[in-house]
Amino acid sequence: MGCASSKQFKRGAAAGHEDPAILAKETTFSVSEVEVLYELFKKISHSIFKDGLIHKEEFQLALFRNSNKKNLFADRIFDLFDLKRNGVIDFGEFVRSLDIFHPETPLADKIAFAFRLYDLRGTGFIEREELYEMVVAILNESDLLLSDDAVEQIVDQTFKQADLNSDGKIDPDEWKAFARKNPGLLKNMTLPYLKDITMAFPNFVMNSGVGDEEL
Amino acid sequence: MAMETNQDFQVIMGRYRLGRLLGRGNFAKVYKAHKVDTGEAVAIKVFDKQSVQRSGTMEQVKREVQVMRRVHHSHVVRLHEVMATRSRIYFVMEYASGGELFTRLSQSTRFPEPVARRYFQQLITAVEFCHSRGVYHRDLKPENLLLDARGDLKISDFGLSALVGGADRLHGDGLLHTTCGTPAYVAPEVLLKRGYDGAKADIWSCGVILFVLLAGYLPFNETNLVILYRKITESNYRCPPWFSVDARKIIARLLDPNPKTRITISKLMARPWFQKEAKLNDMPLVASAPSVLLGEEAKQHRDDEAEDDEFAQEKNRAKVTMSSPAIDMKPPSMNAFDIISRSSGLNLSKMFDADDSSEARFSSRETTTAIVSKLEEIAEAGRFSFKLKEKGRVELEGSHDGSRKGALAIEAEIFEVAPSVHVVEMRKTGGDSLEFQDFYTQELKPSLGDIVWAWQGGDSPPPIVLAASTR
Repeated sequence: MGCASSKQFKRGAAAGHEDPAILAKETTFSVSEVEVLYELFKKISHSIFKDGLIHKEEFQLALFRNSNKKNLFADRIFDLFDLKRNGVIDFGEFVRSLDIFHPETPLADKIAFAFRLYDLRGTGFIEREELYEMVVAILNESDLLLSDDAVEQIVDQTFKQADLNSDGKIDPDEWKAFARKNPGLLKNMTLPYLKDITMAFPNFVMNSGVGDEEL
Repeated sequence: MAMETNQDFQVIMGRYRLGRLLGRGNFAKVYKAHKVDTGEAVAIKVFDKQSVQRSGTMEQVKREVQVMRRVHHSHVVRLHEVMATRSRIYFVMEYASGGELFTRLSQSTRFPEPVARRYFQQLITAVEFCHSRGVYHRDLKPENLLLDARGDLKISDFGLSALVGGADRLHGDGLLHTTCGTPAYVAPEVLLKRGYDGAKADIWSCGVILFVLLAGYLPFNETNLVILYRKITESNYRCPPWFSVDARKIIARLLDPNPKTRITISKLMARPWFQKEAKLNDMPLVASAPSVLLGEEAKQHRDDEAEDDEFAQEKNRAKVTMSSPAIDMKPPSMNAFDIISRSSGLNLSKMFDADDSSEARFSSRETTTAIVSKLEEIAEAGRFSFKLKEKGRVELEGSHDGSRKGALAIEAEIFEVAPSVHVVEMRKTGGDSLEFQDFYTQELKPSLGDIVWAWQGGDSPPPIVLAASTR
């Protein structure tokens, strides 16, 4: 990609943040797309605390237009984005995590991310109780008030399909097989929009700090 | 710009290999280029950021992006992506391999009426679409009309003529060449610097273009600007003898110096001359006055039906069960992860203000048959075709009339979540997003009312029209 280096980037938009050229190299995003993501990151990370880091409240605000709205799944996403596990999302974490959602990211990466997402307690397995907890959460969120029996039945049936060795938990291999058989459940792991963000946020062109090609 | 040298081997941002120069303007140059990984041909417009900034036209450049993003149409050049460095801005666009319509015109001096009309029809279809999106080109002229490989017209350059001239342009008779600022295509009210209606000004320019296509020369062409201005404001032009009576009439209506009485696009499209042979073209049929009326009728029809709603429901319910005995209506069931994956907490597109508003979801305690009947009823009222597929899938398709971008098509899928609890997902599979949103808020949502248990997706009906794109 030529000669964009961190030194050149300093005077650009993401001063104090990771070099877009490096992030572009490590991810599916182009340098310009990383710069667009920076514009978006700036907006979210300055919505409440204005410290250039995305806090949980800011994340909730961006997702739900409400900084106090608690949601189990949003919490999970936040925790997974927070790669350094320090309670906030910095720009590098933001870009690397969103990379999972790029349309061109390999399915295997999306499957692995989804597994960690649903492995609520990080045990390396998706346990029956975890699935039960998640189903209850989504039904509450959707105002779908089903009986406990109905919920049990949904969880049972899913386990029948996914838990191939019937040990009461879904391991990563079982998950892989299940996800490949049911590609619909990975639909939310792809944001088609990421493919034309440079047109959605043309403001980045003002602030681009990428060095020019030698011509 | 230094990039003219050695341009055969340049790769921009590691993504595009730059080719020959196609055109040049004040702050930008357009190059042919190829995508490095796929070889796809594109056109790249390169802006020199410093000159853009110095001239205070940065807002215009950004507006051009927003505009092009809004007008995805088969007869408008597509913008693929935008890139930037410290000193340059790149627009990566669809490459129109047929070159300028202008070049073809200068090769054949003038077009026979059916050919001119075909280009004119495509031009008007695209202009009408742009106007429906609140976009006024304001710089329509043959130089901004390109042709693709199939010879179909593509409107380009929404940057208010940042580009003039082109290195590879054939200088034919020279008469048609408008230099920057030559007002040959500009409407009188624009010349007079009064506030003007962008739509009406574009229509004037289309009138000049139609004249040029048929005549091979400009209707208003004077070296003396004072005389030129006067001729334009008086609409003082003369049609050559080969113009047909109908063409003369149309041009007179287009080149009406009074924007208030000048013909509107919908009236123009309703004219028999305009509609002639339109069906022979493969372009989508255009919204014309008759189809607008049809829409009115349909609404009327719906109102009537509302009165004996119960009767209609009975009738429809009977129809489904009777007309489709062979189809397996049993909807697939959702597994737990399918359900979970639909949480609004996992819908990150919200973060981008880009919630894809071409989908809607609701739950229902009705039976599959009742849900299908309801959808059929809605299809009938909205004059959609209705197709019941296997396993609780339903397809609705609008007629081509009255739609700007092909017919609106909607797929509805019914899933079983628990015994006697269904989730219905509807998504647009064809047509225009704005039309889907209109249909959703005005027809679908109100009509579904009594079978819906809860609307899903964090209670997020599609956002208000254009909310996302006006930022």
